[in-house]
Amino acid sequence: MKVAINALHNAQGADPGTGAPRAAVRRPPLSQRWRGSRNLLPALLFLGLFFFAPLIGLLLRGVLEPVPGLGNYEQLFANSAYARVLFNTFSVAGLVTVISMLLGFPLAWAITLVPRGWGRWLLNIVLLSMWTSLLARTYSWLVLLQGSGVINKLLMALGIIDAPLEMVHNLTGVVIGMSYIMIPFIVLPLQATMQAIDPMVLQAGSICGASPWTNFWKVFIPLCRSGLFSGALMVFVMSLGYYVTPALLGGAQNMMLPEFIIQQVQSFLNWGLASAAAALLVVITLVLFYLYLKLQPESPVGNAR
Amino acid sequence: MSAVIKEAAHGKTLVTLRNLNKHYGDFAAVDNISLDIQDGEFLTFLGSSGSGKSTTLSMLAGFETPSSGEILVEGRSLVNVPPHKRDIGMVFQRYSLFPHLSVRDNIAFPLAIRKLGSAEIAKRVDAMLKLVQLETFAHRRPAQLSGGQQQRVAIARALVYEPRILLMDEPLGALDKKLREDLQDELRQLHRRLGITIVYVTHDQEEAMRLSQRIAIFSHGKIVGLGSGYDLYQNPPNAFVASFLGNSNFLRVTASSHGAAAFEGQSLAIRLTSGLAADQDALIMVRPEKALALSTEQATREPLPAGWNEVNAKVGEVLFLGESQTCQVVTAGGTEMTVKALSAAGMPMQPGDTVKVRWVVADACVYTEWAESDLSKAAGAH
Amino acid sequence: MLLSPNAMGRPLRTGLYLTTGIIAAFLLLPVVFIVLLSFGSSQWLVFPPPGWTFKWYDQFFSNPEWMDAALASLKVAVLTTFAAVALGLPTAFALVRGRFPGRELLYGLFTMPMIVPLVIIAVAVYALFLKLGYTGTLFAFVVSHVIVALPFTIISIINSLKLFDQSIEDAAVICGASRLQAIVKVTFPAIRPGMIAGGLFAFLVSWDEVVLSVMMASPDLQTLPVKMWTTLRQDLSPVIAVASTLLIGLSILVMFIASALRRRNETNA
Repeated sequence: MKVAINALHNAQGADPGTGAPRAAVRRPPLSQRWRGSRNLLPALLFLGLFFFAPLIGLLLRGVLEPVPGLGNYEQLFANSAYARVLFNTFSVAGLVTVISMLLGFPLAWAITLVPRGWGRWLLNIVLLSMWTSLLARTYSWLVLLQGSGVINKLLMALGIIDAPLEMVHNLTGVVIGMSYIMIPFIVLPLQATMQAIDPMVLQAGSICGASPWTNFWKVFIPLCRSGLFSGALMVFVMSLGYYVTPALLGGAQNMMLPEFIIQQVQSFLNWGLASAAAALLVVITLVLFYLYLKLQPESPVGNAR
Repeated sequence: MSAVIKEAAHGKTLVTLRNLNKHYGDFAAVDNISLDIQDGEFLTFLGSSGSGKSTTLSMLAGFETPSSGEILVEGRSLVNVPPHKRDIGMVFQRYSLFPHLSVRDNIAFPLAIRKLGSAEIAKRVDAMLKLVQLETFAHRRPAQLSGGQQQRVAIARALVYEPRILLMDEPLGALDKKLREDLQDELRQLHRRLGITIVYVTHDQEEAMRLSQRIAIFSHGKIVGLGSGYDLYQNPPNAFVASFLGNSNFLRVTASSHGAAAFEGQSLAIRLTSGLAADQDALIMVRPEKALALSTEQATREPLPAGWNEVNAKVGEVLFLGESQTCQVVTAGGTEMTVKALSAAGMPMQPGDTVKVRWVVADACVYTEWAESDLSKAAGAH
Repeated sequence: MLLSPNAMGRPLRTGLYLTTGIIAAFLLLPVVFIVLLSFGSSQWLVFPPPGWTFKWYDQFFSNPEWMDAALASLKVAVLTTFAAVALGLPTAFALVRGRFPGRELLYGLFTMPMIVPLVIIAVAVYALFLKLGYTGTLFAFVVSHVIVALPFTIISIINSLKLFDQSIEDAAVICGASRLQAIVKVTFPAIRPGMIAGGLFAFLVSWDEVVLSVMMASPDLQTLPVKMWTTLRQDLSPVIAVASTLLIGLSILVMFIASALRRRNETNA
């Protein structure tokens, strides 16, 4: 808490310069250039110490342990079991992105169509599911999907299947559970994009001769594109790094990268290999996130004034 | 552009609105409107917001379905035709260009929908770009254009597929005054060249006057006046139109005999009016610029000519407005009047002076029926 | 047209609403199911349950392990909330009002813990605390939770600070307040919704956090999600459903507070 109190103190002490541009004019150019940056120190210090330093330390272990070199990476790509992990990770993330997008699109559309009343309730459902404990939801799916679970019983009662389907402890369970969890992350950005579309533009499309079908594909979808892209990218990135859901709904046979990393650390104490895998995941994540930022129209810290 | 130019066949009815209604619950946004729109004419729907003009336009475009009534184009009903099959052009209030398409692709959109060949599309789009003078902006996105340029793209997009009817919903409302006047002139020329039928919606009466051949004045979901701007202004069909268009002086009178009425105990000559019985209350309307204010000396120098009326009044305020001057006066009975004259004519009055206000009997309209709310400005909305 | 329900045509509209209803049900299903399950009498989680009971709640509240875990969760979440807001506030001020190069980059750095997979943060921080001998301490829990909660508080404070017209603060200074007084008396009240929202986010993030907590936990100190996690790996006991229901209940409560605050703020504006 000492760090925190310092932070608050700094916030108050450093502000005359940042608040009043007139007062700052007479300052020397260098401090002018870094005006207001002192307030960043507490958080920078905190993250530097507890986030960036350990992160860099971890990534270094990938090339230093057990012996310096790229041996860990070689292993990661050469060993077919490890390559299988990479393949699982990407295919599950891809599948989850597509499914959650297909399910999220109509939801976002309906919320945009009916902003009050029902739409408000739909949005609340999305938010509720997003903020409900991840563990609780995953546990719920575990019980729902198990061999003697409600879904299998229902499908058998309807005569669709004769024997229970295996939907947990394999990738099916992982895909169902993760798609479910990712829907809100598609709906929210997509809904914001749709909300910003001028409905008159669609009227214009229709008076220009576009049938509802043509209007949908040639005007509506292109206008939703930025929301679709950023939502999908976000979901894909998040899916690559998810641990809890795959660990509980997935099986020991078909691991994904995050489980693999934990397993290497906890069970095999193989920090070198785990770090190499972690570095791979970090690099992929950051590259995709950079793309995501490129798609954002405006700067997050841009000034409203 | 010769393909678009058609002979304006005046006098032929293109669109008929018959007993058109639009209700939202108990509220009648459009209340039993019937109207014939001539082929090739420039018709303006004029009214304040909420008067039903935009709803009527939306029904023409197909975005609103009438609660009852018919919309006929050359005798064919449009009511059940969806907007994309109506072949009507429309220019929207906020332009509503496709933000993801370039200027060229925006204009080409309706043609691509109609599956025209790419050479034909290119030819027609080029012609349109030339027409609206945006050749050099063809590859820009709408967001990179000024408001006036965006509006020209919207017009080009609406005209490129050669619709017979062009609807315009307050298309110039978002632009500043100077630009608006320039575009009004362009629009009028465009209409003259293309001979297309234009239905234009605005709340700006000067714009309506400047642009249109006929004006339909909307109030409370009804058309309360229809005709050329000149007729509507000079001979308003009712007190509402008189007060809505321009400025007006209303005098409450009681008819005494044929062609005469009592105003504040004084006898005035009035136009012969059918349906006006003796002792019936009536209203006479004089436009401020049709009235003259004379000082007492002037009045003794110039005796009242035949066919003129005269009332005594006291000057309240004289305002100099540049090209014209106005003088507010109050009669002995408390009726307020405004007299307007060109500055060049001079109006040498001071507040407090006694004046005589004169007007030609034939210039004053007589109304036998009116609602009190008609006499105040901006009463058109619900 | 496609954005106005009245004009889009009945078949399309019906289809969309139907699809949406099914998806919304899909979203609600696990949440509702788990709450029902916590009252079901079957040890084997048979559904629909043969009867209804409070016995799992009794088991939960009478078991000191679960109670300790719940208490630890609360303690960690509250500390995380305060620490994250205290760290996030000056950072947001600097990022919105400061005029220095690289603000975009710095913003990226501060939000990075949101982007980097939790697993990797967990392993990295675990390695550090293992070396320092801090694992299993309250400090380790709070520090690791603050790392991931901080971006949320920074973002929500930035959002409300961007909406605040700084000339109002200048007006307070013209009226005779010192810059510090102006910030405390004028700016802080104005951005309070953002600060509270940021705090609520931090609370929820910490309250729900599994991955980091599992790595930080020791037999002596574990949060509710950790206890659930370890229990889950052994069996699917209905007591977990009770714990889940309590987690859900608190999340709903916090969401409710957040939306009530937002509504009050909207009516004030």
